[in-house]
Amino acid sequence: MTDVVKMRQIEKAFGANAVLKRVDFTLEAGSIHALLGENGTGKTTLMNILTGVYTKDQGDIEIDGAPATPASQQQIAFIHQELSLVNDLAVYENLYLGHELKHYGGLRRREMIATAQAFVDRIGIELDVTAMVRDLNASYKQITEIVRALMRDAKVIIMDEPTTSLTDVEINDVFKMMRSLRDQGVSLIFISHKLNEVLEICDTYTIMRDGVVVSSGQVTPELTEVQLSNQMVGKELAYSEIYQPRPLGKPVLTLKGLTKAREFQNVDLVVHRGEIIGVTGLLGDGRSELFSAVVGATAFDAGQVLVNERPVRIKTTADIKRYGIAYLPKNRKENGIVPDLNIEENLALPILGRLSRGGLINRGQLTATVQRYVKQINIKVADVKDVIGSLSGGNQQKVLLAKALCTDPSVVILDNPTQGVDVGAKAEIYHQIMDLAKTGISFVILTSEIAELQQLCDRVYVMTHGEVRAELPHGDINERDIMLVATGGQLD
Amino acid sequence: MTDMQTSAQHKQRSLKGLIADYSAIFAFLILFIVAVILKGSTFISVSNIMNILMNNSIIGIISLGMTLVIITAGIDLAVGSQMAATGLIAMTILNATQNIFLAIVAAVFAGLVFGAITGGLISKFGVPAFIVTLGTMQIYRSVSEYCFDGGGVLATGRSASAFTAIANTKLFGVIPMPMIYWLALCLLISVIARRTAFGRYVYAIGSNKRASFLSTINVNRVLLLVYALSGVLVALASIIEASRLGSMNSASSGSGYEMDAIAAVVIGGTSMAGGRGTILGTVFGTLTLGIINNLMNLLGVPSFLVGAIKGVIIIGALLIQRSVSKEES
Ligand SMILES: Nc1ncnc2c1ncn2[C@@H]1O[C@H](COP(=O)(O)OP(=O)(O)OP(=O)(O)O)[C@@H](O)[C@H]1O
Ligand SMILES: [Mg+2]
Repeated sequence: MTDVVKMRQIEKAFGANAVLKRVDFTLEAGSIHALLGENGTGKTTLMNILTGVYTKDQGDIEIDGAPATPASQQQIAFIHQELSLVNDLAVYENLYLGHELKHYGGLRRREMIATAQAFVDRIGIELDVTAMVRDLNASYKQITEIVRALMRDAKVIIMDEPTTSLTDVEINDVFKMMRSLRDQGVSLIFISHKLNEVLEICDTYTIMRDGVVVSSGQVTPELTEVQLSNQMVGKELAYSEIYQPRPLGKPVLTLKGLTKAREFQNVDLVVHRGEIIGVTGLLGDGRSELFSAVVGATAFDAGQVLVNERPVRIKTTADIKRYGIAYLPKNRKENGIVPDLNIEENLALPILGRLSRGGLINRGQLTATVQRYVKQINIKVADVKDVIGSLSGGNQQKVLLAKALCTDPSVVILDNPTQGVDVGAKAEIYHQIMDLAKTGISFVILTSEIAELQQLCDRVYVMTHGEVRAELPHGDINERDIMLVATGGQLD
Repeated sequence: MTDMQTSAQHKQRSLKGLIADYSAIFAFLILFIVAVILKGSTFISVSNIMNILMNNSIIGIISLGMTLVIITAGIDLAVGSQMAATGLIAMTILNATQNIFLAIVAAVFAGLVFGAITGGLISKFGVPAFIVTLGTMQIYRSVSEYCFDGGGVLATGRSASAFTAIANTKLFGVIPMPMIYWLALCLLISVIARRTAFGRYVYAIGSNKRASFLSTINVNRVLLLVYALSGVLVALASIIEASRLGSMNSASSGSGYEMDAIAAVVIGGTSMAGGRGTILGTVFGTLTLGIINNLMNLLGVPSFLVGAIKGVIIIGALLIQRSVSKEES
């Protein structure tokens, strides 16, 4: 097999922070190649160098056997984890964005639609190119991004954590597409922290640790997740049981008959003091919409929210602090990251007022608070006064998690909390959550990762089309039952 | 690429970064040098420099509030007519009661209310700031003209001279008082922007409104307060203007000030998209505009052409800024 990409002895430093140290990376034609490593190890940076977004300090790059040029680097499509589609445009308009077909300045709309549709049909995807992107589900948005890359005739596609906001069924759509592309000779680089996916879809892998390549090879049937993660962290990951039964207290958060037209119906749910509950389901289950209404980000039509068994009126998100509720929304780029504030201001954003003395923010106290969390959940950061964008994706997510925890809440609602967080860090975060729960803090975890539910939750609610269809106690949390209920079946 | 080229490129980049961060100061320095070369001793004389500072302190104060407004990704086109309205309120009350303190309090209160109305319409009803203030701009101007029949009010009575002294006194006989007021307000607003929770929320909202809202920031209240604060600053500017001239005119006072204030803010490096900007930048943006005006005056450029030259310089300054900051990101 020939190599489409060959990177040799790549070095890169941001200021004094040496990120990549003599990295070699090879991509074989017509393969799906996993790029693995802990958060902040330099995966995204390496890909940014490959595509010419960042300049390298040292090393050389060959694309298709020739030294890389800006033109050949542009032939590589880089699909970032945060989608870059315009929601208010149709699929075909997004596909042609910046490359519209024109005729004396006018758009050749009909031709664009026909060409785009033909293209989509040819690669075997069921997608109406005149649909608005806003109406697509997450997997089709992801697929639209891939199609856009293909229409530019990309021979190499980089997918940086494409599955973090997808549910299992949607992930399968994306995988199907990836396989068919590979069979047509396209090469793909797949970055993910979900090692089961890597074993399922990838042909070859490269593992990095602290900016150095530690191993690479073929994905064979004998390869296991544990082998991969041990190489990522450089030691045997001690597996310890996270879940511990705890005495639970009185109800702290209760939902009674909560309803919003077309989003969720008649939801009854209760969280006790010190309890960790999970809420899961497939696409369109309504769990995110439900809790976004609970915290006052959107309105609901009917029903009641009770805190400590007393009805409360939460009109806007600013009200939840008063009731000791903290909320981490999903989709960190849109809903979490404030790009123009630095790391410590992002982390402490909800409590800047509380950290003020005589109207002025107490910088010393701010830094102390932030440092505590940097240590506690192991955020890999050079300087907390740097802009948040200088952190790797997984570390940005940890900042947002700390942001929810720093308000001293009694109930914490976490939507997709470990999005883009590596295996080791996930376990650490789970231990933290369990420890906090032991002190009486309650958690609501919205996730589609079954393993997350199994390791943390005392009870799990399974939702389908906006309704709670089943409630499973800790011992009964298993993939088979959850999938059965989530797809509309009945438990016997 | 060889090593040498790479490191040279790095140096070049960081220099460009420096220019981007302090572009307003660079623009100011370049113009200052040009002015010295063209009009040496006349330009650099104490009286001329004081003149520039004095003439720009009013726009300077208005553009402080405008900076915060633009950082939230908003805009306030009504500041000019708001200034006429609050100034007229101050003068009317001054003439009626001969109480300077009361006149100032009334103007500040009116400014606060005007600003809060704007902020309320924008935050509560989600009307774009441009539209809301395009409306209020016309309303304040037209109502002022109606009430005063298109004319103005002159400070009269025994308090008139004390009132005009507010802006026409010189500290140590050299430094005009408006400059001191401007400086004090710069420090105050700069501290608010950088050191208070409210100030950081202003930046957060301009940077990512949705994330700010989901972070339990009371976005509507912050927006309302920003416009109210801007309204108060405009009212203070109107007192200084009224005191300086001893009168206020319903048709001409403050006319076009919104454009100068916006230009000062933008030349100062504040992003119209929100989230970025500094008070220091705005101060230098104001001074840059001030030097342009002053220089044209000294050079005897026909007054009808001043606008055109100003326009060219503003666009040029922004293009340079834009190209530099694009390369940085
Ligand atoms: N623009 C930047 N400025 C400064 N430092 C940066 C910048 N981008 C990345 N870094 C640093 O480089 C290191 C590697 O980051 P990178 O984003 O490549 O990690 P990653 O392997 O993709 O991690 P993750 O799995 O969390 O996405 C981190 O320490 C990060 O802080
Ligand atoms: Mg990354």
